[in-house]
Order: sequence, then C-alpha cells, then structure tokens
Amino acid sequence: MKCRKIIKIFFLSLFFLLIVFLSLFLGSNGFFFDKTIILNIRLPRMILGFLAGGSLAFCGAVLQGLLENPLCDPYILGIASGAAFGVSFGYFISKLTYFITPIFAFLGALWAVLLVYNLAFYKGKTNKLTLILAGVIVSFLFSSLTMLFMVFSKRPLNEIIYLLMGNLAIVFNKLNLTIFIIVNSLTIIFLIIISSYAFELNCFALGSEVAESLGVNTKKFMRILFFLISFIITAQVAFAGAISFVGLVIPHLTRFLFGSNYEKVLPFSFILGALAVMGADIIARSIAPVELPISIVTTFFGAPFFLYLLKKNL
Amino acid sequence: MAIFTYEIKNLYFQYPTSAPLFKGLSIKIKEKEWFGIIGPNGSGKTTLLKIMAGLLMPQKGTVLLFNNNIFSLTPKERAKIIGYFPQENFFIFDFTVKEIVLMGRNPYRKRFSFITKKDMEIVERAMELTGTIEFKDKKINELSTGEKQRVILARILAQEPQVLLLDEFTTHLDIAYQIELINLLKRLREAKNLTIVFLTHDLNLASLTCDRILLLAKGEFVGCDTPERILREDLIEKVYKVKPIIKPHPLTNRPLIIF
Repeated sequence: MKCRKIIKIFFLSLFFLLIVFLSLFLGSNGFFFDKTIILNIRLPRMILGFLAGGSLAFCGAVLQGLLENPLCDPYILGIASGAAFGVSFGYFISKLTYFITPIFAFLGALWAVLLVYNLAFYKGKTNKLTLILAGVIVSFLFSSLTMLFMVFSKRPLNEIIYLLMGNLAIVFNKLNLTIFIIVNSLTIIFLIIISSYAFELNCFALGSEVAESLGVNTKKFMRILFFLISFIITAQVAFAGAISFVGLVIPHLTRFLFGSNYEKVLPFSFILGALAVMGADIIARSIAPVELPISIVTTFFGAPFFLYLLKKNL
Repeated sequence: MAIFTYEIKNLYFQYPTSAPLFKGLSIKIKEKEWFGIIGPNGSGKTTLLKIMAGLLMPQKGTVLLFNNNIFSLTPKERAKIIGYFPQENFFIFDFTVKEIVLMGRNPYRKRFSFITKKDMEIVERAMELTGTIEFKDKKINELSTGEKQRVILARILAQEPQVLLLDEFTTHLDIAYQIELINLLKRLREAKNLTIVFLTHDLNLASLTCDRILLLAKGEFVGCDTPERILREDLIEKVYKVKPIIKPHPLTNRPLIIF
C-alpha cells in the first residue's frame, strides 16, 4: 500500500515538472528560451492556469460532497453564466477595455450567485435540491441575456467566446495586476480555510442529517463553504474564463487514484486540476494556427476519460 | 431522585403538509433504560427519534437531555452524548470502512489538528466490538447491507455516546448478528450506563429486550409501559388491525407474539 502511494506521488511530481517545463519553454515553433517572452507571457499564463485549474477542481470536489451529488461541477451555482453575462453587458453598454473585463465578469457572477442564494436559502431553509435547481435556472436566464447582448453589441464574437470557453492569455497592466494579486491571495487563504474543514466534508458526504448527528453544524457549515467557494470560482472565472469539465472530472480522477477521504481529495484535486489546465493550455496554444479556447481541449480529453472512469467503476 | 436521560413534555410536531403528530406527548426515559418505540408505518416513530436526536425541531414542547434543552446544545455537544443510527444510509463516495468509523470521532476533533492515537484506539475497539475490523480497508459499497449496518454501529460507538438512538438497526442483520449485537448492546449498557432507545418493527425483539415500550398509532400516544402491559392482544389488534396470539416466552416469560 505504502509503496504504491510513493510511486504515485513520484510520477505525479515528474509529470508536474514536465508540464512546468513545457508550459514555460514550448512555443508554436518548437522550444524557445527568450527571457522576456518567458517572464511576460509564459510565466503569467502558467500561474493563471495553475491557480484556475487547481481552484476549479478543488471547488468541484467540495461541491460534490456538499450537495451529495457526484455530478456537480463548480458552475452549478450559476457563476459561469453570470460572468459571461457581465462581460457581454459591458461590451453592450461601453467600449469595455481589456483590462477591466475581469471586473465586469466578477460583478456579473456575483449577481448570479446572490440570486441563486436567495432562491435556495429562502426563509432560512437550506435545501440541496433547491440549490441545484436554482443554479440551473439562473444559468439559463443569464445565458439567454448573454446571447441577447452578444447579438446587439457590435463587437466581434470571439472576444466573448474566449471568456465563455476559457483562455489563459493574459496581459497585465498595473490595474489588473493589482486586482489579480489581491484576489488570488484571498483565494489561497480561502483554500486553506476550506481544507481545514476536510474532515467535516467527509461527514457531510454521508448526508446532512448524518453530518449533523456527528456534530457538524450543517447550516452554518453550508453557508461558510458556499461563500468561500463562490468567491474562489468567481475570481478564477473572471481572469481565466469558464474552463469546463475540469471541476467535474478531476475530483473523480482523484478519488479513483487516492480514495474518497477529503483530507486527500482536496489537495490532490488541486494539484491534478492545476496539471490538467496547464497541460490543456500547452495543447490549446500549440496545435492550431490560432489559439483554441481551453475548454475545447479539456472537454475533448475529459469526456472520454470520464466515460472510462464510469465504466471502470460500474 | 432518579436521573432522567430524556424528559419530553407536551410535544407537538407537524410537517408542512400533513396532520399534526404527538399532540402533547410527554415521556420520561430513565438512565440505563432500554426503551422501545413501536407502531405501524406512518405512526411518527422515526420523527420522534429525529426530534430526540436534535435533528428536527418540534413546534411546541420541550425535550430535555440530562436536564439540558437539547436545542440549546451545539451539534458537537449533542454528538458527544447521542449516537444516532439512521434508518437509511447512502454512500455516494466509496469511503473505506476505517474512514467511516473514524468520522465518529468528528465531535472530538479540533480544527487544524490531526487524528490522535487515542482516536485510533477507540476506532479500532469499536471495529473489534462490531466485528468489522476484518474488512477495515475494504470500500463501503463492496459490503453487504448487514455489514454496512455494523460499520455504522461502529461509527456510532466511536462517538462514545451515553445515549443510543437506533432506528430499525436489526432489519438487515442475520439472526446470528442480531443476537450478537443485541448482546453487545446489553454489555455496553452495563459497562457504560448507556440509555438505548430502540425503534423496531419486530415486536418479539422489542418484547425480549425492552424495559418499557412506547406504542404509537398515527402520531398519537397509545401507551407506554412494560412489554407485558403493552403487548396485549387487544392493543395490538386495535393498532395494527391484525389479531395476534400471545403466549409467554418459555424461557423469559415475556410476551411472545405469533400472527
């Protein structure tokens, strides 16, 4: 048992080093060792991919346990469609510049999440099914509004498509770099706080009634975790776009490799999620003449892989 | 004065869309008592048990647990006293048996701390007692229903409770394990002054184990007394609408119910 664990961790670190190397030095025309390009373009991309991928998988794992539903992904709370709505609205009303796009995405997502909360925690009741349904309905509503604004705004559609489907190309100026640093420091703090709840999450995965009988204050617990998770996902979507499938598949892969205990699921989901998105980004920017939205890659590889896991588990 | 584990006064509970339950039920349960709850389907047994576990809040009435209002205790404080065995158990993720039993230590854990040696000892002991230690590293969904039930009992014992609330926990057990676990509970009751509230459909089991039995029908109190006084032909027929034959058990003289 112990031996196999060490082998897994060894391969994981090896893979990690490989991905870091490739994402820093591999360009569209082979390997590339230009210092300015690496520092100004590759490194920010890699950091963004690392944080976004890790956070999405981490939050997906938490939500699956919290809502007792293995098919949940981080966007179940309406965050992705809210962010897209915010940006499409921004494009519609103004000549939104690149640097303040994340702010609009953040506000749109925040609005969507608040709406879902108000629907789900109506009159102090917390019902998991209502929360999922509220998320789905709000997502549909915001998607339709997004499409409406996309049709009416005069901007080229591919700008919004990159937000809807994820893209790690990022250029920093002073303003968005400051926001990026603040938001991600908070993200890291929140991730640590959530990790300290890993044991309660185990109990929660047995059902909220059982969790309550094991001493978890379920109402308070749900509210705290939803707040932290919404913030993290919103922050990541605002900068990296709605990268799909990572938050759904990676937690399952992690459970498959390391078992279901949340004390292991959380950290390893983060690492595997980060690896997946960093790896997908390498493919997205090097296989085609134009840069592909990253969700195309994650879903293309993620879907068959998910089917494989399902089949193996059945 | 005797110590009461539970003092329930004027209980009144109603689900949003159905008829009110209990209508002023009052019962007292003594420490170390083996207290049975029986009644037909829909009589409110499980609801009563959930109220006693602090999981459902009644609209009216008070529930005192060792003289404390159960709803003013925090979930952690409650979990150190009460071990609750739910009727239905689902495992959407494949935890190992050991991981599940370890969850019983949750009320004793502090944030940012690791599992202590003491926790591990208690968990191992709980698994030994319930005969689950031999498959401690197996995945829970690979086990049979009866084995799962023993794992859940182990988890509850790991809580080191003073009160056990058991909702039909013998249903899926074979007769050998029924007897073994009932004997285990009897021993634990002697050793740790456990109070056991035992909800079951098996009238004979209730008759053989319980000190007193509460009989409910459609959410209303029918009687609460010793097995001999509750398991009577007239009462059973009135509540269950079937006519039983009742004989004294050849060994214990407790009522034996035959249909």
